[in-house]
Amino acid sequence: MNAESNEKRLGLVQSIEKWASSFPHSVALHFDGKALTYKELNLRANRVANGLQRLGVGKGDRVAIMLPNIPEFVYAFVGALKLGAIAVPFNTLYKGGEIQRILKDSGARVLIALTNFAPMINEIRPELPALEQVILTGERNLVFAGPEKTAFLQLVLQGDLIKDVDGAYEKMGHVLLKIMEDFGVKEAWYKHRGSIRVRGDKIATFVISEVGPIALINAVVFLGPMETRDFFRVLWIPPEIKDKVVEPMTSVEQETGKRPRWKQVKKTVVMAVEQGFRVGIKEGSMLRDELVGYEKLRSLAYEVR
Amino acid sequence: MKRKTISQKEHKEQWRLIFKPDGDIANVMALPAAVLQGMIAGLRQFSSDVAAGTVILQGVSRKGILAGADVAVDREAASEHDMDVACQPRAGGASLRPAETISLEEMTLGENDEFASVPTAPEDLACILYTSGTTGRPKGVKLTVENFVSQQQATEQALEVTPKDKIIAVLPFFHVFGLSNVLHLGLVHGASVVLVPQYSPGGLLKTIMESHPTLVIAIPTMFVHLLMLLERKKLHLPESIRLCVSGAAPLPGEMIEAFERSSGSRILEGYGLTETVAACCLNPPDGASKAGSIGVPLAGFKMRIIDDDGRELPSGEVGEIAVRGKGVTKGYYNFPQETEEAFKDKWFLTGDMGYQDEDGYFFVTDRKKEIIIKGGLNISPREVEEVLQGHPGVKEAAVIGRKKGEREEIVAFVTTRKDVSAKELIKHCKRSLSDFKVPDKISFMETLPMSVTGKVLKKELQDNYKDERRIERKKTGTGSVD
Repeated sequence: MNAESNEKRLGLVQSIEKWASSFPHSVALHFDGKALTYKELNLRANRVANGLQRLGVGKGDRVAIMLPNIPEFVYAFVGALKLGAIAVPFNTLYKGGEIQRILKDSGARVLIALTNFAPMINEIRPELPALEQVILTGERNLVFAGPEKTAFLQLVLQGDLIKDVDGAYEKMGHVLLKIMEDFGVKEAWYKHRGSIRVRGDKIATFVISEVGPIALINAVVFLGPMETRDFFRVLWIPPEIKDKVVEPMTSVEQETGKRPRWKQVKKTVVMAVEQGFRVGIKEGSMLRDELVGYEKLRSLAYEVR
Repeated sequence: MKRKTISQKEHKEQWRLIFKPDGDIANVMALPAAVLQGMIAGLRQFSSDVAAGTVILQGVSRKGILAGADVAVDREAASEHDMDVACQPRAGGASLRPAETISLEEMTLGENDEFASVPTAPEDLACILYTSGTTGRPKGVKLTVENFVSQQQATEQALEVTPKDKIIAVLPFFHVFGLSNVLHLGLVHGASVVLVPQYSPGGLLKTIMESHPTLVIAIPTMFVHLLMLLERKKLHLPESIRLCVSGAAPLPGEMIEAFERSSGSRILEGYGLTETVAACCLNPPDGASKAGSIGVPLAGFKMRIIDDDGRELPSGEVGEIAVRGKGVTKGYYNFPQETEEAFKDKWFLTGDMGYQDEDGYFFVTDRKKEIIIKGGLNISPREVEEVLQGHPGVKEAAVIGRKKGEREEIVAFVTTRKDVSAKELIKHCKRSLSDFKVPDKISFMETLPMSVTGKVLKKELQDNYKDERRIERKKTGTGSVD
């Protein structure tokens, strides 16, 4: 029996602190073949609490958490409670409209989420004035590609562009809108930092990332309808929530009745980028150093873990 | 025609295009990453070789999935379906991250390992949890420090959790069941918690077989999947398991028996709500379990059956289940009206209909809001669903009432195991139901919309259901916040 914590009526934070000091080496979490002790868990939660405090989070502030059952959920949840903040965990399957309502209603100042939710959060961020910080963790990106169905447009840029992230989003949004227009897609629209949509459905999407002074704009355009069913044969997702995993999507073919050929895609994309960024574009090849890196990255990508 | 101005000429940089329409999924990651690495190296060496901008335009010639380091992909299935799978390498400390965000790893990297926790009072809010709301809009349930503490006492007393326990955490922590009855239960009592970030039947079974847990707490669908796998593979669950607990949705009586026989482990059914920080009622581990019953109230919770005027009903009579105790929420965040309506004389109205038998065991019959009133008569959707599920061709059934002009019609949504006609199902219903309870319409579905805890989302079956996931374009000129 475990009467001690019962009598003293300890909450989660005090319990973890008690176990961390009295039985520091007993295991709190098992994850991915590794074991994490109570001492380590407490230490990680302390770091999160310190980090959040540095960002200005304090007692009574709402800290939204959109994470699956990974150790970071526990660090974030316990860390927020240590600060006296109010944790607001919510469903990782939620999409734009649902997330927006919860973040707005709770008035969350901070959101801790998986990195792959960044584009979705970006899209609703302008509607959430109370949300000051977006903290990302975990690597659960999932990109589906199909022959002639997906076109990936990636811009690696340096210089002034990324100092003005807002401006870059605006520019790229309009480049993609122009591409849609040239493909004959009617009524495509772009809301700042959002996806390119027709009605409520996604037809193209992008996210701007940065490392030091370099920016990567990663965009995907849906040329033809994606058979997401194929992908679910490889990733197990309960059948009744399948449609919740993928956002409502459309494609150029579905909107215009015609799938653009690569030759046309190339011409259209080059023109739109040239105009949008006021640059000249020439077809080129990779440099020697780049090729070495490329081969290494490719073999890493296909390595079986 | 465009006029060349001096300023335009100054800004007109030359960018490079890399065009590869027939690559594969690994390129989607490797091409930009290689260019990026080259650019970083070039910047360090002040190389003039590096283009200011590179545009990569690429497509694939085979289907592919690019998966982040934390995504589990079934590689065997992928190669069977002729699909490439590429993995993104794990990012390090100063890596690429979406603009204007912070990485949790970077944020905590140099932080102090010590922190003096801010003291809290019992009535302070610890958590706001948004209910899945099978019929309405999600509301934030306010849960205090004291709510959680009482809940932990209640479940601890029933399940006797100690530091020797090892609990499977397959229920998501963003849902009250996983947050309270798994994560809190485990960590408050010094047990260890086995994290399962992504549910799949095979994955769960593997985790259970390898980690030798003592407690498995899950929902009916997961136990049903486990049972199927155990039977197929002729396996028993590890002897380390002392108990399984099922909640959030009803577990059919025959399933309980089959599971206990096949797994060799006892399974207890319980009942709880977000508003009660999860379990408030459980079949006693050291007493008799009753099939179809949610058990008896846990320590610290009181439950009773009331009529519409709040009067307690005698055993056997169906009414609304009401609950009170220190584990019960103070109400809904930002919803004072709904909060007031949710309580009657300090008793929280669960919205679930049910009854209590002579031994004090509770049984749930329906959601109050889902009861169909047709021609002044009350119809229990669950009763109709059970009859439909009794047909060998029917897998799942969900019954709702739908307005048709002035009258209410009963619509049954069913998924099937084999071909069966609507006519046959209506005939089947007529055999065991009064005429007014027989569905007016049968609708065949591939799957029923379900919440993460396996509850059928009946709101999504209504005609006027609006997909809340969509982001709709705002009408121009409205700058207002809705």
